[in-house]
Amino acid sequence: MLTAKHKVGLIFFPAFDWCITPDHPEREERLLYTRDQILEEGLLDVEGIEEYRPFVAEDKDILRAHVCVPSVAARVTESHRIAVGGTMLAADLVLDKKVDRAFALLRPPGHHAMRIVHGSRGFCTVNNEAIMVEHIRHRLSPKTRIAIVDTDAHHADGTQDIFYNDPGILHISIHQDGRTLYPGTGDVQERGGPAAYGQTVNIPLPPGTGDEGLLYVMEKAVMPILADWEPDIIINAAGQDNHFTDPLTHMNVSARGYARLTDMLGPDIVVLEGGYSIEGGLPYVNVGILLALAGLDYSHVKEPVPQPTQPPQVMGQIERITETVMRAWATRDQVDRSRLFGEGEYFQRHRAIYYDTDNLLEEQRELIRLCPDCSGWRLIYSKASGYYSSLTSRGQIAAVVIPWLACPKCRAEAEDKYELIAKEGRCRQVFLQDVARDAFTNWRK
Amino acid sequence: MDIIGIDVGGTNTDAAFIRHGRVVGMAKVPTNHEDLIESTKQAMNEIMAYYATSGQVQLHLSTTLSTNAIIEGTGSPAAALGMPGPGVNLAALDLGFPFFPLGGYIDHRGREVAELNEGEVLAAAKEAKRAGAEALAIAGKFSHRNPVHEQRAGALVAASGLGFSNVTLGHRLSGRANFPRRVVTAYLNSRVASLQTHFCRIIENLLEMEKYRAIREVLILKADGGTMSLEESCQLPVETILSGPAASILGAQALSKHTQENAVIVDIGGTTTDIAVIVAGEPLYQRRGADIAGYRTLVPALFTRSIGLGGDSEVHVQVEEGEVRFRLGPRRAGTPAAMGGSRPTPTDAAVALEMARIGDRGRARECIKELAEPLGLSWRQAAQGIIEAFTGQLVEEVRAIYQRLAGIPLYTVSEILAPPDFHPRVMVGLGGPAQVFIPLAAKLMGLPWEILPFSEGANAIGAAAARPTAAITLHADTELEVLTIPEIGYHGRIDRALLFDRQRARQEALRQAASYAQRLGLPDHEDVYIVEEESFNVVRGFHTVGRIHSIRAQLRPRVRRIEVTEDIADGKA
Repeated sequence: MLTAKHKVGLIFFPAFDWCITPDHPEREERLLYTRDQILEEGLLDVEGIEEYRPFVAEDKDILRAHVCVPSVAARVTESHRIAVGGTMLAADLVLDKKVDRAFALLRPPGHHAMRIVHGSRGFCTVNNEAIMVEHIRHRLSPKTRIAIVDTDAHHADGTQDIFYNDPGILHISIHQDGRTLYPGTGDVQERGGPAAYGQTVNIPLPPGTGDEGLLYVMEKAVMPILADWEPDIIINAAGQDNHFTDPLTHMNVSARGYARLTDMLGPDIVVLEGGYSIEGGLPYVNVGILLALAGLDYSHVKEPVPQPTQPPQVMGQIERITETVMRAWATRDQVDRSRLFGEGEYFQRHRAIYYDTDNLLEEQRELIRLCPDCSGWRLIYSKASGYYSSLTSRGQIAAVVIPWLACPKCRAEAEDKYELIAKEGRCRQVFLQDVARDAFTNWRK
Repeated sequence: MDIIGIDVGGTNTDAAFIRHGRVVGMAKVPTNHEDLIESTKQAMNEIMAYYATSGQVQLHLSTTLSTNAIIEGTGSPAAALGMPGPGVNLAALDLGFPFFPLGGYIDHRGREVAELNEGEVLAAAKEAKRAGAEALAIAGKFSHRNPVHEQRAGALVAASGLGFSNVTLGHRLSGRANFPRRVVTAYLNSRVASLQTHFCRIIENLLEMEKYRAIREVLILKADGGTMSLEESCQLPVETILSGPAASILGAQALSKHTQENAVIVDIGGTTTDIAVIVAGEPLYQRRGADIAGYRTLVPALFTRSIGLGGDSEVHVQVEEGEVRFRLGPRRAGTPAAMGGSRPTPTDAAVALEMARIGDRGRARECIKELAEPLGLSWRQAAQGIIEAFTGQLVEEVRAIYQRLAGIPLYTVSEILAPPDFHPRVMVGLGGPAQVFIPLAAKLMGLPWEILPFSEGANAIGAAAARPTAAITLHADTELEVLTIPEIGYHGRIDRALLFDRQRARQEALRQAASYAQRLGLPDHEDVYIVEEESFNVVRGFHTVGRIHSIRAQLRPRVRRIEVTEDIADGKA
């Protein structure tokens, strides 16, 4: 019998009765073969690997990270609530010291879901990791330093959006270059908002990157950055679509490569994200990750199909990207922020966000107070409509966000603004998101 | 028809004679560990006294033969050949027996990825033989999805003339996943096969004798509480492990008035208390299979939890901040003082308080008093404290079991939103101390209770109450056009796979289960039903190209209801 070196809590929830549509990559049997492989390998008999049942998350859990328009119930299925609950449970198991590490091997995924939720994008509706992060800070302290390392092949644009101005979070996303893959973002120059500049770290990799390239980036960029920033908790958003058999991406990473990455990173919590090679990739990658998390030998994990080699020109590109990333990291505090965010009282940005899964287009205007005493309160105006016709719009909403550790001035301004916008009545719905007081209210026309 | 149930237990061999669903006689002889056959024969002799002179008798036998052999490490020296493919490193697994890893590899859908190396099979078998193995197990990863490698290796070994007394193929033992357990189960099966065969021959010879002529059929108890034929038990002897605990649960089921609802069965003995769980009238199974002597197997077994708490348990005293607390077990103190022992036990506390009328009340009281005085307690306070401690510990264990059950993993949204209800509606108690402790424990849990009339021998009644069980696992992959039923070694093509829908898969599973039961010579073989099923699309690109159906069908497990006449029940037999 095998005994794990690190006690691992496994929250396995394959949602065998939930799909986006029956032929969609995010469908019932996505984790079927993974379950078969884990059972057949006898991994649930390993001393120190314990399986847990997820709980069903409540509205309030979700609202700490999101503004759901018009409501949580309208946007979220029971399956999402269970995936969220399972991810929160992973954190609870670690915080309560019931296990050393936890693996939320569940679906549906979440890392493309941004703060404002009008619908689903990139197969995601609500952001499992982000909700967990807020749960952890709610339980422990807003000062808990949390690092998220997203190793999905797609840029974690949702997680980036939620934490891009959050000084308590370090968000590193390693992904296939956005110029070659959905969602298109994730350039090295996207480095975070005024209060957390440099703490959004994007590492875009060229198509064809294999174990060698991925592990190079881990060793030369991710690990040094983590060592430098000294997080209290490390979360790995473990998308598995860098696998060489994945149908949606163009990467060459193997199951053993993923296991090695996990071993090197030593995350406290691992959460499954994407990965749609449900037969040829996921079963092996998940076994590899689980073995690595438990501190067991993963050197015998191998796919039935041989792994293609990383194209020779790729390594040079990866070295250059790594160099750029590290230079940006090292000089992040020397950058003149007033040049990036202006010298006024507020920083403002406009964005158009496409929801591919639901075919919606959201137009967003965001204001962040450039506050010397805290990360600054925020105001977001948002309007979503069907992609082909703005006539389908349900009208504009506004969201007032009071961040963790907000200064009294920001808090007072934010609260006044919420009242004012509601009184003006120009928005059809106004939301107030106040994590520190765990209060989430909204006003409707 | 008359039925004799015999349970060869660790201490005693119990026998019960059942006529028309009523217990007409019971017998008990001490178990002779050197010669289990002798104990069985003695019990048969005694219980046959209740035979009426005419009519046929069916003998249901629960033995510890395989269990003991596994625990004591006896049986035939055996080795295992395995096709592990890539994955977990088996070298680290430390199986505790010779294991020869071979090439050849089947994936999770039952596709051959690497061919079996026939030369390697023969070389390993030869090496195993040379190293002293008399029996051989062969098990491959995912052989329950495609048994061809195991079958081919088995045929090669059989044709090799190496002369193994038994060759067990892993896929025949279970349709469930878990390669390490498959290897272990096959290994244990091959190790105990000769013993079981020898045992069956002796039983068959006994039945030739004049005095046993009425016994026409012998059925062997399994860990899942079902029975199998003598002949089948020689093929799958490993299934006979842990049949004793299963027999006790069956006994409780057979005797209880509560046949349909959720119940917790609490069997309180002298040294241990065994707890089992009934859900909607059916006993709960171990999730992955029976565990025995450190071996984890795929043998289907009833769920029981044994705790070191009983009428003869040691009494420990803890003093915390001036408060005296009692803690009982897990070891046995010995015979209660009331029955001639020297140390106080929970039984003595019950006797002293006149909650039980056995033995010498004066001695029990005296013994409790000796314990109580240095603690500044009266004998009555101490006795009450012990009774409360017993009840508290028992309830704590029962609650822990249900708490774990309430957290078992579930894989669908609908199940998580409406999880299965395990919660007990009644506490069913048996065993000597049950009369004292069950009402108190049930009251603490807010449950009604029932105490069964037998403090001993319920296991033998359970053996008699057992009915056959048989199950098959059908795995149909319509994209690969392959249908597999490992328990019968079937792996063949599906004709017109496009038309093989869920309905067809269900029909096929039921038909195969019924014909399997019929081949085993089981009565009521038409009474099969589906216990588990899954059906998933197989998608290529963005098109559905097939479906995978996985269906487990079985003979409906039943337990005979057995009635008791007052005069047979405890103390009056």
